[in-house]
Amino acid sequence: MGPQLSWYLALSALLFTIGVVGVIIKRNVIAMFMCIELMLNAVNLTFVAFASFFGDVTGQLFVFIVMTVAAAEAAVGLGIIIAIFRNRESLDVDDASILRL
Amino acid sequence: MLVLLFILFGGLAIGCAVNVVAQRNPLYCAISLIGVFVSLACLYLMLAAPFIAAVQIIVYAGAIMVLVVFVIMLLNVEQEEKRNIRLGFLVPVAVVLAAALIGEVAFILWSVDPNPTLQPSDIGLTKSIGDALFTTYLLPFEITSILLLMAIVGAMTLARRTGMLSPGARVIPGAQLLAVSDIDPSASHDDQTPISSATSDEAAQILGVVKRDQSKRD
Repeated sequence: MGPQLSWYLALSALLFTIGVVGVIIKRNVIAMFMCIELMLNAVNLTFVAFASFFGDVTGQLFVFIVMTVAAAEAAVGLGIIIAIFRNRESLDVDDASILRL
Repeated sequence: MLVLLFILFGGLAIGCAVNVVAQRNPLYCAISLIGVFVSLACLYLMLAAPFIAAVQIIVYAGAIMVLVVFVIMLLNVEQEEKRNIRLGFLVPVAVVLAAALIGEVAFILWSVDPNPTLQPSDIGLTKSIGDALFTTYLLPFEITSILLLMAIVGAMTLARRTGMLSPGARVIPGAQLLAVSDIDPSASHDDQTPISSATSDEAAQILGVVKRDQSKRD
């Protein structure tokens, strides 16, 4: 007997929770960004697990699209991070608590 | 055998994910995150999704993480400093709530019955994914291209440095943009032409100002 579907779901939930905790407790913008990527990957694992266990290709297509969104998010997000660093000389989110640049 | 592999790669993924959160140096976080991506790719292979596994390695561990590491190197990020915890009295509440959440999730996961079994199928192959992507899901595919175009335009807009300033502009740290007339009033009366400088040092040099850090270094 191989791994059950619920095992994959539990692993995915754990990874997602670790990502949420990281976003909450991290102060560094880049570290928070990486925790968001972790959460996206946890959701991807759920998609692939459901797609494989139910024999439906749709889940894997969604993973593909989530990866595209993650790539776009990386480009724009890192651009924003560089803009913040240029203005504040710091990557700490507490230094960037004012919306005004 | 599969169970052992699941425990191996799942444990690796969780360990690396915890390390991502626990590390203070962003570069170590990035390396751990690559570990998470690779172990997730192995799990995708176990789930008979070879295409997604390959894309995971190429796009996530390859492209996105290279971008992140590049930005970390570019910005020369220092370590996160430790801070005192505010609202420390909420820690027991958090522990209790987390235990309740884990209990609920465990109850739901173990009450799902019966578990479907993994069927041998060809849905993970590139051919079947391509078939579905270019027939049934053509519209989301095209919309994704628009999203990527928007990301390109957005990234270029964010990375652009120059802009137009009013004549009375002063040096803004970070924006590093000043009107020509501010530097040398006799040079030009064209207020619309700004001088942009890439760094604070360059701006200080143009203005003839000695920055605090430089004097300290000397």
